[in-house]
Amino acid sequence: MLLRLLDRLEEIIITTLIAAATILIFVAVVQRYGLSNSAQWMGWARTNDLPWLAAIFRSIFVTLNSFSMTWAQEACIYMFVWMAKFGAAYGVRTGIHVGVDILLNALPARTRYGMVILGLLAGALFTAIIGALGTQFVYHIGQTEQTSPDLEMPMWIVYLAVPLGSFLMCFRFLQVAWSFARTGELPSHDHGHVEGISEADEPLATEPNLHPRDLKPTGGEK
Amino acid sequence: MSAAIIFGLLAVLMLTGMPVSIALGLTVLTFLFTMTQVPVEAVALKLFTGIEKFEIMAIPFFILAGNFLTHGGVAKRMIRFATTMVGHWAGGLGLAAVFSCALFAAVSGSSPATVVAIGSILLPAMVRQGFPTRFGVGTIASSGGLGILIPPSIVMVMYCVATSGMLVEGPTGERVSAASVGQMFVAGVIPGLLLAFLLGFTTWFIAKQNGYPRLEKASWAEAFKAFLDSFWGLALIIIVMGGIYTGLFTPTEAAAMSAVYAFVISVFVYRDMGLKDVPKVLLSSANMSAMLLYIITNAILFSFLMTHENIPQAIAAWIVDQGLGWIGFLMIVNILLLLAGTVMEPSSITLIMAPILFPVAAKLGIDPVHFGIMIIVNMEIGMITPPVGLNLYVASGISKMGLTETSIAVLPWLITMLAFLMLITYVPEITLFLPRYLGML
Repeated sequence: MLLRLLDRLEEIIITTLIAAATILIFVAVVQRYGLSNSAQWMGWARTNDLPWLAAIFRSIFVTLNSFSMTWAQEACIYMFVWMAKFGAAYGVRTGIHVGVDILLNALPARTRYGMVILGLLAGALFTAIIGALGTQFVYHIGQTEQTSPDLEMPMWIVYLAVPLGSFLMCFRFLQVAWSFARTGELPSHDHGHVEGISEADEPLATEPNLHPRDLKPTGGEK
Repeated sequence: MSAAIIFGLLAVLMLTGMPVSIALGLTVLTFLFTMTQVPVEAVALKLFTGIEKFEIMAIPFFILAGNFLTHGGVAKRMIRFATTMVGHWAGGLGLAAVFSCALFAAVSGSSPATVVAIGSILLPAMVRQGFPTRFGVGTIASSGGLGILIPPSIVMVMYCVATSGMLVEGPTGERVSAASVGQMFVAGVIPGLLLAFLLGFTTWFIAKQNGYPRLEKASWAEAFKAFLDSFWGLALIIIVMGGIYTGLFTPTEAAAMSAVYAFVISVFVYRDMGLKDVPKVLLSSANMSAMLLYIITNAILFSFLMTHENIPQAIAAWIVDQGLGWIGFLMIVNILLLLAGTVMEPSSITLIMAPILFPVAAKLGIDPVHFGIMIIVNMEIGMITPPVGLNLYVASGISKMGLTETSIAVLPWLITMLAFLMLITYVPEITLFLPRYLGML
């Protein structure tokens, strides 16, 4: 139950972040051009003695000028950093992380089993170390008064994404390793499949050698 | 010595099949804790600040835009337009496939996405019309490669990210600055069109030899109607390239604009997609982007370690000492990248190899933009060479044809692409003409 909640939360966070960042940059660009264009048009209307038109553009200019979007770029970067860290953890669960599996898939099942577990544990090890380093780093930053240049947000909050994301990713690696050890199944992302485009859900004839194959006797067909 | 250890370790870790990003990260950590004096804090900082560049953020935006375009019926309309234009020549639908791949490539930044978007509609249609499956698969898998050569291109952004901010010297010791995303995009236009033409020619030639079916010539009225119908998709080409060229937007802003634009036309204009499908598209785009950003983070760590150990500089000095010259060097780079391309996917190769090879190229007086386009062309070929070639897998998935047969099917186009690679490698003017003409270099 708690796990399902975590899964959902992870999905909601990354979906919201990518959507919000896109809208943010869109609005910032529109505002920038709205501002310079309305100023230009205002000047044009004045020189051509069209006071009502000038008034319209003036009000557009004032409205657009009333809020500043200079922080948009920075906010977008931070949103994507957060999205990247949590998305990477989500990616472990969906099996999207690519690797070189050409040798692995040629090995006999028994050896492959060991290698896959080794790979997953290596992932868990790496993310755990990064998580620990990150925690230390965030703790040190937290002692200082460092803030981000435009948003003036405390930097430790921004950097919190690294330890949180890394530990979550570590947990996901262990989770996948555990389920693999029990069932011999791995999550795998099919890079060739796009929903609503390929006919129905027919299986691929071949599997890209970018992810370890499952250990089931029918390996390759899913 | 340390170079051998680093590469050896990376190779061994990658061969175990663990994700490329993890292999890169573990290599860095192992080296750090055992062999070097780099303070761990410096690395931790790099880990945080590595991807804090606005340029990099073009990648998630382009992926999002591409996903909307694939789902939203833009590809379908482009194919119809392409078919009315070239369908009556020899090769018919095959030629239309090359043309629509080129059109779709101009709005999307990824090759497999192009293969999926165009192939899943055109391939079944070609087989129904009596083309051999082999011919169809060959056309589509190879033309899909245009996705990363014709701008916008995710791999080009990767190249710029991997090389930006590096301190490199030219032949006479002057600073050479890395290529910008805008320069790369503009430089990709002529090679992209040229390759589209060459692939189209190959298709036409094979079709003519074998007397494959053609379509009836579409009337001008039909062609015009198809053009109007696909207009909203085609307009995106102007928004992205025009916006970047005139300086209206930065490449990242252009990517964000095209994501919003693609969303609007898919959901409100073409209505091939409902609002309820949007979260799914967002989630899968975020998933893909996060994977790429994670590789980037670790690749940046890796190249930081390499630079710290002065490895690229040492390789550069060694190659210059060999008296290889730029001709020999580029040949070696091509072979190296083609070999890497057979077992790895483009983003990882670009991120790992570009920072190592770029200083050498600069030292030999090779233009960063020319060098980048050459890498991109190598990556395109890598996507249709077995055992690991994303386009092959995608095409074989759509056609239900085995991998070996698919690999054989692309051979004629593969040879064309290799010839094209030689052309791009040794005639830098093809790449550099447009950016120079527009005053961007």
